[in-house]
Amino acid sequence: MILQDRPNPIRELLTVLEYWDHIFSGFLLTMWLYGWALLMGFVLGLILANLRQYGGWLLSRIASGYIEFMRGTPLLAQLFFIYFLPSSLNIPVGDWEIVTSFTILNKEITIILLNYRTLAGLITLGLNSAAYQAEYLRGAIMSVGTEQLMAAQSLGMSRIAGIWHVVLPQALRRVIPAWSNEAAYLPKYTVVVYFIGVKDLFAQAHFTVALTFISVTTYVIIAIIFLVTITLISKGLDILHKKTTIPGL
Amino acid sequence: MDKPILQVVDIWKSYEDLQVLKGVSFELREGEVKVLFGPSGSGKSTLLRCINMLNPPDKGEVFLRGENITDPNVNINAIRAKIGMVFQHFNLFAHLKAIDNVSIGLRRVKGFPKEEARAKALEVLQSVKMEDWADHYPAELSGGQQQRVGIARALAMDPDVILFDEPTSALDPELIGEVLQVMLDIAKAGKTMIVVTHEMGFAKAVASEMIFLGDGVIIESGTPEHFFVSPKSERVKNFLNQLDVLYGSHEKLLK
Repeated sequence: MILQDRPNPIRELLTVLEYWDHIFSGFLLTMWLYGWALLMGFVLGLILANLRQYGGWLLSRIASGYIEFMRGTPLLAQLFFIYFLPSSLNIPVGDWEIVTSFTILNKEITIILLNYRTLAGLITLGLNSAAYQAEYLRGAIMSVGTEQLMAAQSLGMSRIAGIWHVVLPQALRRVIPAWSNEAAYLPKYTVVVYFIGVKDLFAQAHFTVALTFISVTTYVIIAIIFLVTITLISKGLDILHKKTTIPGL
Repeated sequence: MDKPILQVVDIWKSYEDLQVLKGVSFELREGEVKVLFGPSGSGKSTLLRCINMLNPPDKGEVFLRGENITDPNVNINAIRAKIGMVFQHFNLFAHLKAIDNVSIGLRRVKGFPKEEARAKALEVLQSVKMEDWADHYPAELSGGQQQRVGIARALAMDPDVILFDEPTSALDPELIGEVLQVMLDIAKAGKTMIVVTHEMGFAKAVASEMIFLGDGVIIESGTPEHFFVSPKSERVKNFLNQLDVLYGSHEKLLK
């Protein structure tokens, strides 16, 4: 029998944690991408949902087509399409970046907030998330019912004013439980940006594995970080839902 | 008599193959209360929605104080602010408290400042005896209370005419009286109203004219006395008999 040097999980954990600054900067970048993509997806999704519901024959079909296309094609393919589109059209993308750095526990942490790669990732995630958010929002708008809009119009409000002052305040409260699905999925989807060289949490994990040759422990740590983050997001949205709830809505 | 507030001229309306209204005309003068009744499917609600253009007619014209509001060039939102509507299912704004349901039109349509809108809304809520419930959401109110807020919401805009679309038919019997009483008060205060209802006690008390609508046309019209003493057509007689058998009359509920 050959005695092997069995891996010691504690030693592995400590080795990986020596690279905490990389993992931390990756986490911050992932959250940065997530926040902007969720916001962009929300604004665009709200516009799409309204176009689909109230846009009339042509606009509602355009919105439906967009939503179906984005939901029916792989996110990674969409990312590559947007990433490679400028160079295939001979449009220079430039070599620019917006960087922030700070020192924490004697380690300097540098994060590239925006460069061409990050921007391509952000746009893709936002455009993709918009399609899913639009469907949640449309469901909530439909659940409010046409009678509410009719009542608003009977008072002399325009259709747009009725949608803004009567339908949306109700729909946005109702959508929170369903919409929290998207808020919980999106952090995990951000990992696709690894494939175009953005140094997100997943890329930093890969980097750590390359230096330490410790893979399982590293990825378990990454998994735990995602788990905790998403649990906190869900809890936060639960609290928001309870705080904004109105009897009968 | 003064010029009519509202003139309805030869209104036609169909939904796909179903011809709902086949040429309905009538006039409404200041302070008049017109009661529309007739079997379900006869086009009563459709007629009301044609009058405020929530459901524009296929053919025909509606004049409000002489202005043709079926003209595509008029600002229909400004016109609707002058035509109140009370709905069968109340349609209160579910996210707003009673007071805000009443003040939202004043603020968003008439441009009242917040405090002024609130003061006026409270005043109108008092007139329907709902001031104690001002800070409750619709879901916290009974059907009768919701409908009184619905009436206050329409009243607050000081409309030229208020359209009531079966305002009590979604209510439990014990709640009908409080709503009818409020409507009676408004009618006696001189508001011009068109009321779709089967509450014959209410019609008897305040209607200046009753219109029986059947199959999309006016079959008979006249004063309450005419209808309750000597209706001409067999259909009207049968219908009134049925109403009496099914619902009785709520006359007792009215002071």
